[in-house]
Amino acid sequence: MQKRLFGNHLIILCLALLGFVQCKTDRSANKQHRIAIVVSTLNNPWFVFLAETAAAKSKALGYEAKIFDSQNNTALESDHFDNIIVSGFDAILFNSTDANGSVANVLKAKAANIPVFCMDREVNSVDAPTSQILSDSYSGAVAIGKYFTQQLNKKGKYVELLGIVGDNNTWARSKGFHSVVDHYPSLKMVAQQSADFDRNKALEVMESILQAHPDIDAVFCGNDGMANGAYQALVSAGKANTVKVFGFDGAEDVITSIGEHKITATGMQFPKIMAETAAVFADEYIKGKRDFPKKIPVSVELVTAKNIADYIAYGKK
Amino acid sequence: MKALSNYHALKKFQSLLALLVLCVVLCFMTDKFFTAANGINVLRQIAVNVCIATGMTLIVLTAGIDLSVGSVLALSGAIAAGLLKQGISLVPLDLFIGFTVFGVLVAAMVIGALIGGFNGFMVTKFKVPPFVATLAMLTIARGFTMLYTGGHPISNLGNSFAFIGTGSMLGIPVPVWIAILVVLLASFITNNTRLGRYIYAIGGNEHAAKLSGIKINQVKFIVYMVGAVLAAIAGVIVTSRLDSAQPNAGISYELDAIAAVVIGGTSLNGGKGTIWGTVIGAVIIGVLNNGLVLLNVSPFWQQVVKGAVILLAVVIDKIGEKKD
Repeated sequence: MQKRLFGNHLIILCLALLGFVQCKTDRSANKQHRIAIVVSTLNNPWFVFLAETAAAKSKALGYEAKIFDSQNNTALESDHFDNIIVSGFDAILFNSTDANGSVANVLKAKAANIPVFCMDREVNSVDAPTSQILSDSYSGAVAIGKYFTQQLNKKGKYVELLGIVGDNNTWARSKGFHSVVDHYPSLKMVAQQSADFDRNKALEVMESILQAHPDIDAVFCGNDGMANGAYQALVSAGKANTVKVFGFDGAEDVITSIGEHKITATGMQFPKIMAETAAVFADEYIKGKRDFPKKIPVSVELVTAKNIADYIAYGKK
Repeated sequence: MKALSNYHALKKFQSLLALLVLCVVLCFMTDKFFTAANGINVLRQIAVNVCIATGMTLIVLTAGIDLSVGSVLALSGAIAAGLLKQGISLVPLDLFIGFTVFGVLVAAMVIGALIGGFNGFMVTKFKVPPFVATLAMLTIARGFTMLYTGGHPISNLGNSFAFIGTGSMLGIPVPVWIAILVVLLASFITNNTRLGRYIYAIGGNEHAAKLSGIKINQVKFIVYMVGAVLAAIAGVIVTSRLDSAQPNAGISYELDAIAAVVIGGTSLNGGKGTIWGTVIGAVIIGVLNNGLVLLNVSPFWQQVVKGAVILLAVVIDKIGEKKD
């Protein structure tokens, strides 16, 4: 038994070694530069779009591109960085899991002379990343807050659906929104619940909220998935025409819904611009340029039925 | 003797009693809870978990577990949506196969049966512990979901498909009818058939069951298959309700299902428990979710409360066992 077990392990070991050898020959034979794309999660279409656009642009610029999924886990992200450094990638296009927790990972890459270009989500360090191209969630939510108060004539009852409560973006959006709305005492938040950025959870939570508060005037959702779910609950309850729904992201379903006057507004982020800018910067770095702006804010634009003609999913026409 | 039989009666209805207490408390705390509309609302919301948890009960009764149900739900839902929208085109044969709503429901169940069969095969033929085999399937099926959808939702599935998730008959939502049918069938199987008795026998003492001539592998294979088929049906319900197959649907649903099974008094060691217990367990979780939102309890506290209720249910069960 012992012997057989050992035999099995030996086979696995040999296979593993073969794998390494395989990788090695691959690398020495292939002199093409490689770009790593590390994205916080692929469990959300928005981030899938960000990662795919970054990969497509890198390939268009003549690089080999590989996507790493951190699954919203900073520890897994750290493992990815280790692997990227060991296998000698030339640049990293980075969408961080955590503004503070990811700093150590970026510093690791910097120490190994691999430039890091942050997309969408900020890393709280001035020196570590080569450049950061960031979505301004807070200001976007402020713009939605302003439109929200205007649409409700500064009075009424509303519900807020939060994203994942441990996520930075959840609170950036919530705080931006409340920085405007809380100035109007006649706007009353009757419920604030989390629906984890998830369409189905938002549908269920909204159904329950409507039992307790059938007389609400509006819902603010931390992303478009939840806005879709909340809207479906309103349709089932026959309140879709009286309750205004506000989302955030600029995802496909919501852009269509705004065009059909179903959902009132969303905050359009520009994943395509961010991903392509990061890829172009990486290309310039590899070709020798070293001087990059530390931060490029990409504003979040308010999309309503009035200006919907200018927009498509995840960007401008 | 009388006291003892009273005690047994009490133990049998323990979870039902817990549910009643919970409902009474909620009635006092909010007048929105005990209304017909909210009742229907809660039933509609728990239908998905009841389907999954019923299959899970059968598996747990054999002392197994299935962690892959959430991923199976996502994959079968995505494939149902994909087939409904695009059908299958076999380009080399110049053949196109379109799917009706009934067709995609069957297709989803076939996908479930295949995955469940694979789980069962791993558990019986290769003796892979169920926890490990289904944990592996959890990631494999999620990966296939991502591959199939490319990480993007499949939306706008049409009105006839929406009926499965949003329609109602005789004032009761269709998902609730499906759940009732599933529960009645499973309850009949466990109580009145040979297969049901075999399931309990295997969970009670696998060795003894084997010696008494029960085809253990066959029974286990069946329960894993049934569990995954029920998860696939749940997948079609979720997809239909949302009018969209989400690649991240069903994440951590296995935990809700296991919680319902455990709260309902089924032992994770197998051999003990009932389908009805699980149904009550699922209702308790559903009522709790609903009640915490009605009361606008902070999302941070909700997680603490839910965990505490699960612990409490099992502790009460264990205290009861000691007395026995």
